[in-house]
Amino acid sequence: MAVIRRKNVKKGLSFTLMSVGASGLGKSTFINALCESAVFDKKDYSNPEQAAVEKTVEITPITVDLEEDGIKLSLTIIDTPGFGDNINNERCFNDILNYIEAQYDYVVSEESRIRRNPKYQDNRVHACIYFIPPTGHALRELDIEFMRRLGSRVNVIPVIAKADSLSPAELVDFKKRVMEDIEYYKIPIYNFPYDDEIDDDETIEENNELRALLPFAVVGSDDEVIINGRRVRCRQYPWGVVEIDNVKHCDFSKLRYMLLSSHLQDLKEITHDILYEQYRTEKLSREGVVDLDSDLPENRLKEEQLRREEERLRERELKVRAELTARQNELLAKEEALKNLEAKLSSQNNINN
Amino acid sequence: MSSPNDFIGIANLPNQRHKIVSRKGAHFTIMVVGESGAGKTTFINTLFAALMREYQNEDKRFQKQLERTVEIEIIRAEIEEKGFNVQLTIIDTPGFGDYVNNSDCWVPIVEFIDEQHLNYMKQERKANRRNIDDMRVHACLYFIQPTGHTLKPLDIEVMKQLGSRVNLIPVIAKADTITRADLTAFKNRILDCIKFHNINVFCPPIESDDEDTTRRNTAIANAMPYAVIGSEQDVVTPDGRRVKGRQYLWGVAEVENEEHCDFKKLRNLLIRTHMDSLISTTEEVHYEDYRANRLTKEGRTDDDPQVRARKLFDAKMKEEEEALRKRFTEQVRTEESKFRKWEQELIDERDRLNKDLEAEHSAVQALKAEIEALKSPVQSRSPRK
Repeated sequence: MAVIRRKNVKKGLSFTLMSVGASGLGKSTFINALCESAVFDKKDYSNPEQAAVEKTVEITPITVDLEEDGIKLSLTIIDTPGFGDNINNERCFNDILNYIEAQYDYVVSEESRIRRNPKYQDNRVHACIYFIPPTGHALRELDIEFMRRLGSRVNVIPVIAKADSLSPAELVDFKKRVMEDIEYYKIPIYNFPYDDEIDDDETIEENNELRALLPFAVVGSDDEVIINGRRVRCRQYPWGVVEIDNVKHCDFSKLRYMLLSSHLQDLKEITHDILYEQYRTEKLSREGVVDLDSDLPENRLKEEQLRREEERLRERELKVRAELTARQNELLAKEEALKNLEAKLSSQNNINN
Repeated sequence: MSSPNDFIGIANLPNQRHKIVSRKGAHFTIMVVGESGAGKTTFINTLFAALMREYQNEDKRFQKQLERTVEIEIIRAEIEEKGFNVQLTIIDTPGFGDYVNNSDCWVPIVEFIDEQHLNYMKQERKANRRNIDDMRVHACLYFIQPTGHTLKPLDIEVMKQLGSRVNLIPVIAKADTITRADLTAFKNRILDCIKFHNINVFCPPIESDDEDTTRRNTAIANAMPYAVIGSEQDVVTPDGRRVKGRQYLWGVAEVENEEHCDFKKLRNLLIRTHMDSLISTTEEVHYEDYRANRLTKEGRTDDDPQVRARKLFDAKMKEEEEALRKRFTEQVRTEESKFRKWEQELIDERDRLNKDLEAEHSAVQALKAEIEALKSPVQSRSPRK
């Protein structure tokens, strides 16, 4: 672990995170809070004419440089404004799915080059945070459809947006129902997988804890207030103050730690080893590349050689046979000659006597 | 000229009216429109301080088929307070805005509102109007998602359709999600949208004789759209008061605290002060508009170009009828004359033939007579010796 850390320190890590959800759920505020800086500007909603216009999904990546515990992290965040905002939202899944698959396509083509470029830009999305509106009921059709379609291409991490609108009891019920829906509809999400045999007890326990928190209850804020001498990021209501870094108020800090520290590597590995490979297999088998044997030209060569050998042997065989017949003929001829001589001899013998 | 001593008694009319109304009771229909999870059921239950509507049973959500429809659910209740009765009807619209594709999801709602007007119209025309079932919607609460941004395309489209047919009151539910500053900006943007897109929302009357009332009415009118928090539960605040509210780890959001939300103002608007205004606007404005539209379509009004056209049409019809009749009579006459001629010819023929026959007959007679004559002289000449 220490060795890996040193390597990371030198090279610097990169991570691509996508955030998806209907507008007004606090995605930009969350991202700003996550990066502790104003990555996304506050959007301008003051034009009433624009409010009625139906928009397509815009995919806008922004890269930020963070430093956590001395480790440099180049974080690329992809926001998806326009998702789920229209009257008819059937098309918005495809825009996002196409983007993710386009990044995979790029890597597939880079890998199959004859001369690979070791420094190609890997823009694959390592995690997708999906914001669920805090209705208090269960998942909506839009939520189910999106997570189902994208869960097989990217690590989907469901979070409950604006979780400060739910009381503690309501939050527990809602989380339970969301997980029931995820299981019922067989929605693939990133659920902190571990291997009983390989991982140690500590890791297993950590993963189980995080799994039990799903979906993460998130509250975001741009505002800061000084309470008891320390700076606290919070939301101020007439009836109280919600602190986003307080684990009793929401799961923001746990989510942040998981994303940017403890499970960053795991998310990347799963993206590369499982999700990307699955996409690649599906894509290539679609294109009709059937590879039963990978060294096809070699085989052909061997075949050629065998054929030539066969021919040579046959020639030899014929030659040998021809020789044999010739010799036999000679032999016969000699026998004849011998017989003639014998006859002559015997006749001479008779005359003489 | 009446002196202060002989008053006629007209001023007593409101009291009599009061007795009539309190005997008859009132009839109030309220509709709630909004996405699932917006807080509609909780709001209704909080407003009437009773479990008007059961909460959605989430355990059954896997059992029903996802049919993607918008349903109209009608809940009737009777409320009594200090001897005064109200027949309450609550219309819920489950399924609205809940699907991936929400095109035309407002159509069942709009059709329902129109249907109630039509229904009332038909019953009004009947001879016996004693038991009219009146479900005309007096107030329609549209629940806006507390995004903090502005109205969505769906909100704008639906509010346009509703505002022209019913008293539309925009409500921001789950207002305990938005901070104070954000809420003011949000409300302003919503009002801008409403103005820009010409959405017709209910304007509560402000002017009144009493200055206090006028001030209160102004406050109610200015608070639109109403940011509400709903809760039926009693909780205890940090400073020990027992209130209806939502208890969080960081405090208690109180329903009836005007610093926290506009629930009280909305309740006044709907029930305590402006209910009659809602009912009368529905009956005098929306219903009458609908009725006028409907009747012109059927062609029943007076100085209508449509009616004139109809009259003209009738006249033409008569002309054509006359022409047809004339032609018909003509034809009949010609046929008749033809037949008569034929008849005449036949008669003539017959007469001629008869005459011929007679002639023949007389010829035959003559010959016969000749023969007789010839016969007899032969007999008279013959005695030979």
